Amino acid sequence: MTPTQQGLLVLLITLAMLLSGAPVAFGLGAISIIFIVIFQGFDALHVVAETFYAGLNDFTLVSIPMFVMMGAAIGSSPAGKDLYEALDRWLYRLPGGLVISNLGACALFAALTGSSPACCAAIGKMGIPEMRKRGYPDDVATGSICAGGTLGILIPPSITFILYGIATETSIGRLFLAGVMPGIMLTGLFMIWTLFIIWKRGFRSHAADFRYSWKQKFQSIPKIAPFLAIIVGVMYVLYGGVATPSEAAGVGAALCVVLAIVIYKMWKPEAWWRILRDTTRESVMILMIIAAAVLFGYMLTSLYLTQTLAQAIADMHMNRWLLMGMINVFLLVCGFFIPPAAIILMTAPILYPIIKAAGFDPVWFGVILTINMEVGLIHPPVGLNIYIVKAIAPDVPVMRIMWGTIPYVICMFLAIVILCIFPEIATWLPDVLMGPVKRA
Amino acid sequence: MAASRPAGGVDAYIHAVRWISRILGYAAAALIGLGVLVVCHMVFVRYVLNENTIWQTDFTTYCLVAATFIGSPYVLMMRGHVNVDVLPHYAGPKLRFWLAVFASAITLAFAVALAILTFLFWKEAWDNKWVSDTMWRARLWIPYGSMPIGLTVLALEALAGLLALLTRREMPFGMEMDAKRAELME
Repeated sequence: MTPTQQGLLVLLITLAMLLSGAPVAFGLGAISIIFIVIFQGFDALHVVAETFYAGLNDFTLVSIPMFVMMGAAIGSSPAGKDLYEALDRWLYRLPGGLVISNLGACALFAALTGSSPACCAAIGKMGIPEMRKRGYPDDVATGSICAGGTLGILIPPSITFILYGIATETSIGRLFLAGVMPGIMLTGLFMIWTLFIIWKRGFRSHAADFRYSWKQKFQSIPKIAPFLAIIVGVMYVLYGGVATPSEAAGVGAALCVVLAIVIYKMWKPEAWWRILRDTTRESVMILMIIAAAVLFGYMLTSLYLTQTLAQAIADMHMNRWLLMGMINVFLLVCGFFIPPAAIILMTAPILYPIIKAAGFDPVWFGVILTINMEVGLIHPPVGLNIYIVKAIAPDVPVMRIMWGTIPYVICMFLAIVILCIFPEIATWLPDVLMGPVKRA
Repeated sequence: MAASRPAGGVDAYIHAVRWISRILGYAAAALIGLGVLVVCHMVFVRYVLNENTIWQTDFTTYCLVAATFIGSPYVLMMRGHVNVDVLPHYAGPKLRFWLAVFASAITLAFAVALAILTFLFWKEAWDNKWVSDTMWRARLWIPYGSMPIGLTVLALEALAGLLALLTRREMPFGMEMDAKRAELME
C-alpha cells in the first residue's frame, strides 16, 4: 500500500470513528494503536505508552488547567453579572448601548476565562433576558451573545492558542498578543453589524425611561476592578517576560479563586468543589485529547503520511492564496463537526509544514485558524454556543437563534479576509512588544 | 426502560466502579489544586526570594499528568470526554443504540490496551530504577504509576457504561428520547 493510499485509509477511518460518537481522545488513541499494529507490527507497540505519557509531560501544558481554573472560578461566581452590569451602567445612554455592553462584556470576560462556552453562558444569562426585556429582536439578542461568546478563544488567554502553540512549537506569548488586535477588530465588527441591524429595523432608544446616577455607576466598579487588575497583571507578567505562561496562569488562577471567595463570600466547600470539579472535568478532557493527538501524530509521522501529504501539496505548485483558501474551507468544514481542541491537535502538525513551506507566518495562521474555529462554535450542526443560548432562552426557536448567528459568521469571514489583506493586524503587536521574527 | 434487567450483580458492579471513579475524581481535583499551589510557591521562591527552584516544575507536571489519568474515569462517568454527536443526534433509535455500543466498546478496548502497555512501561521503570533527567532526579515509577491505575479504572468504568447500555439502564449517549422512540427501544 502506498503512503497516499494509507493516508486515505487513515482519513476515512478517523472520520468514521469521530462521527460514530466515540469520545475523541479514545477514538484517536484506538485508531493510532490499530494502525501502528497493522503497518508496523506488534513490536512497535512498545512506544505507545511512552509517547502517550510524553504528550503530557511538558510544563507548558500546566497552563491549560490553570487558565481553565481561572475561568471556572470566575464562571462559578457572579463576576460575569457584575461585569455586565457595570458596562451597562456606563454605556446605557448610547444608542444600542446594551448591545455594546453585552459584546464588550463578552470581550472582557473572554480575557478572563479563555473559554467560549463559559463566556457565552456567563454574559448570556444576564444579557439575553435584559435585551429582550428592552425590546431587542430575539435573533439579535441571541445571535450577538452566541457570537460574543466565541471571542473567548481569540482574546488571550486562549486555550486554543495554547494548544496550537504546543502542537506547532510556536511561541504562546506571541500567539496571545497576535489575538488581541483581531479580537478587538472582531468585537468592533460585531458591534457595527448589531447597531446597523437594530437601526435598520427601526429600533431606537430603549433607555429614555430610566437613568443611572453617578453613584450607581461608581458603585459598580469595586467588584470588577480586582478581576480587571488580574487580567492586566497576567498580561504584564506574560509579555514583560517576567514569568512563563504556566507561572502566570498558576498565580492568576490562585488569585481568581481567592478573589471569588473573598468578594462573593464563597466560603462553603461545595463552592470550592464546584470550581475544582469544573476545572478537572475540562482539563482532563483537553489533556486526554492532547495525549491521544500526540500518539496520532506519531502514527502519522512514522507512516510518513504527514510528509507525503505536505510533499504532494508542495508538488502541486499551487498559488499560496488558493492554498490558504482551501485550508480555510477544510478548517471550516471540520469546525462544523469537530470540537476546536481536537481539530487543532489533529490538523496543526499536518498543516504547519504546509503553511511554512507556502511562506505564511505561523503566528498569523494561528489567528486565522482560531477564527475558523469560532465559526464552528456558532454554526450548525455542532454550534456549541447555539445550544448554550437555547438553554438560556428556551422559548426562542433554535432556527431563529441560528439565523441570528449567520450575520456574525459573515463578520468572521470578513475578519479573515481583512487579516489576509492586512496580516499586520495580527503580527504588529507581538513584533512591537516581543521583537520582530524573521519571516519567509 | 426496565425491559430485562438482570439481577443485582450488574448494579453492584456499576455502583462499585462509579464509587471508585468518584474517589479518583476527588484525587484528580486535589492534584490540580496542589499543582496550582506549587506553581505559586515556585513563583514566590524564584521571583521574590530570587532562589533556584529544583523540584517544583517536575512536581507540578507530574501532578497534572497524574490528574489526567486518574481523573479520566470520573470524567467518563460524567460524560465529560467530548465527542462528535451529530450522527447519534439525528440517528434513529436502533442506529443510535448500536453507535453507543460501538463508542463504549472502542473506549473499553482502548483503555484495556493502554492499561496493559502502560503497566509494562511502569514495570520497566520500576525494574530499572529509572529517574528523571532533571535536577530533582525523581523516581519515575511514581508518576508513571498513575497511568496503569487510571487506565485500569477507565476500563472498568467503560465496561460499566457498556453494561448499563446493554441492560437498558442508561440511554445511548445519555440522550433523552421521546416516548415513541423509547417504546421502539423496548
